[in-house]
Amino acid sequence: MSGSNNTTAASNLEKSGSDLHWLLRTTEDAINGLVNAFQDLAGNTETTLTLAAAIVDCVEDESVLSVLPGVRTLGIEARQFLGERLQATSGILETVTTEMELLHRLSTVTDGQARIALNINMLTVHTKIEVAHLGSVGTGFEYLARELADFSQALARNTKELASHTDDRRAATENTRHMLSVELPHLREELTRVEVNLSDDLAQLDAGLTKLSRMPEQFRMSAEGIAQQIAGVVVAVQGYDITRQQIEHVQEALEVISHQYLREDDAKARVSPETACAHAGLSIQSCQLDAIKATISEWKSQIRTCMESILRISASDIVGIGPLVLEQERSMSSQLSHIDFLERECQAYGEKIRTTTEGISGLSQLFTEHLRKSESARNRLRLLTFNSVIEASRLGAQADTICVVADGIAEVSAEWSKIAEQSGSTLEKILDLSKRISAVMATFSDASNEQLNSAQEQTKTGLESLRRASAFAVVQGQKIEGAIETMRARSGEIGRISDLLDACFGRIDEVLSDIEQVKRQLEADYPDVKEEYDAAEIEELFSASYTTQTERDVLRSAIYGTAFSAAQQCSTGNDVELF
Amino acid sequence: MKRILTVDDSASMRQMVSFTLCKAGYEVTEAVDGKDGLAKVEGDKFDLIITDLNMPNVDGIQLIASVRKTPGYSFVPILMLSTESQAEKKNAGRKAGATGWIVKPFNADQLVAVVQKLVK
Repeated sequence: MSGSNNTTAASNLEKSGSDLHWLLRTTEDAINGLVNAFQDLAGNTETTLTLAAAIVDCVEDESVLSVLPGVRTLGIEARQFLGERLQATSGILETVTTEMELLHRLSTVTDGQARIALNINMLTVHTKIEVAHLGSVGTGFEYLARELADFSQALARNTKELASHTDDRRAATENTRHMLSVELPHLREELTRVEVNLSDDLAQLDAGLTKLSRMPEQFRMSAEGIAQQIAGVVVAVQGYDITRQQIEHVQEALEVISHQYLREDDAKARVSPETACAHAGLSIQSCQLDAIKATISEWKSQIRTCMESILRISASDIVGIGPLVLEQERSMSSQLSHIDFLERECQAYGEKIRTTTEGISGLSQLFTEHLRKSESARNRLRLLTFNSVIEASRLGAQADTICVVADGIAEVSAEWSKIAEQSGSTLEKILDLSKRISAVMATFSDASNEQLNSAQEQTKTGLESLRRASAFAVVQGQKIEGAIETMRARSGEIGRISDLLDACFGRIDEVLSDIEQVKRQLEADYPDVKEEYDAAEIEELFSASYTTQTERDVLRSAIYGTAFSAAQQCSTGNDVELF
Repeated sequence: MKRILTVDDSASMRQMVSFTLCKAGYEVTEAVDGKDGLAKVEGDKFDLIITDLNMPNVDGIQLIASVRKTPGYSFVPILMLSTESQAEKKNAGRKAGATGWIVKPFNADQLVAVVQKLVK
């Protein structure tokens, strides 16, 4: 190798040293910019976490989570409310259908009563004829004939009234039955739909509130995640400082090689110890730069990943906390308004049934009156029968025909008793059904809503708490959005600095290429240059400035061929050793 | 509020130490090398010092030795924060009066925990 070749090599190495110097200066500025951006990002993350923590605290302070059991109770009460009304409506329909049958039977009985009234009228005529035949002897029967005539008229009138009332009641009942049979499927369909909506609302709300109940835990995990990523950046930035020192050591080594071992007067045919030392030194620097490249790649990637994670957790998980509260408030409002609607619908329907069944209830009083009149008629008939038998006995043989009349009265009386019993029983059953309808109608009364209303009130109170928390979350959420926007802007800057660092550290490849070129030149000029150096001397010479174990390991690997793993840096940082 | 002095010729290292300890509630003062660190120690009172080893002007070992001679600093904890992990270097630090040794990069949680323990 000629002296001029050595000079060229030394000059190339000086240029490489300058490249590394430029790289250190430029990356120092870039790293400082990156650190500032990171501190700003971390500051905004801290702000975001504080704002989100306030939302979580507010949700806890407002006891929003205690709403959950109340909402579940409300769901149960609303379903029960619906079930009771459907059952009541079905019950009323069944009752009026039964009543229709009874009213039909009552009409048959009323026909029988009309026939009896006619028979009594005929008996009255017979009695009057017989009284006329008997003359002064039959004065007692004359009284009986008048009584019979009065009774006959009253009975005819009552029977007519009963028939009329039965018809009215049948019409009212038919009206109710018709209304219910038309409305019930509609109501059932409507209430089923409302119930499905309610179930959906409840399921949604339940899921939402459960999610809300996990919010503190979710927040804690997000905060922990962010803390981990911040710690990751802190470690990675230190990685820069470590590689900076290592690059400085390479720079110093290149300077020593170029100035001390590649001198101009080294133009000899045989390799000098200095040249061999220079070659070995360059091999070591080459290995050091390879290891430095791997470490740089590691910490750069860690910085980028951690900062992206910080932004992602802040922009998704943390930002999501506010809307989550808002969403629950809307969901609960919707559910309550659904239940309010359902209640109004049921009350309106109940009012309609009440109005219709009132017609039936009004007629019940008249039927009670008929029962009394029927009883009175039976007693009066018995009395007439008794009187006619006495009069007939008193007249003796003169009153054969009167006896026939008396027998007729007794016969009619017995028949009336039978009919009266039938109508009485039917009327009582009808009145019983009326009572049953009235009882069922109580289901639609305001008092029956008490439990539902209480659950509604409880949920409304919960909703108020949720509204307050939600209003707070909205305000905090806006601030969080503002902080996230700043972080996003910073994220762009971090990306640009990372690109700049990539470009700067790309210079290491150029330096490596230059070193390899000088090495190849030395090998071409001195084929035995690789063998002509003292390993121990080389180790002592180049390791003197080393401050990291990695550098020492790389050096030993380069000189002695010992194993070395490029990924040496600890990504979580080292512990403190106390003396 | 407890006061901590961090001495390092690397701006990014100083920033990382300050960031970590300020977040934990400490007041942190930065010095750019051993000379600057010593001047700050002489003119102020700190509860703990964290110093690098290899620095221009006055290195970490010299700084510790000088600090220990400064009135009021005999028992103030001093942590050495260095890329060095060699036993002889650590021994030199211990002899000079260091309280503990951290090989860079430090773990933020561990650093805070140790600082809390030492300045309690």
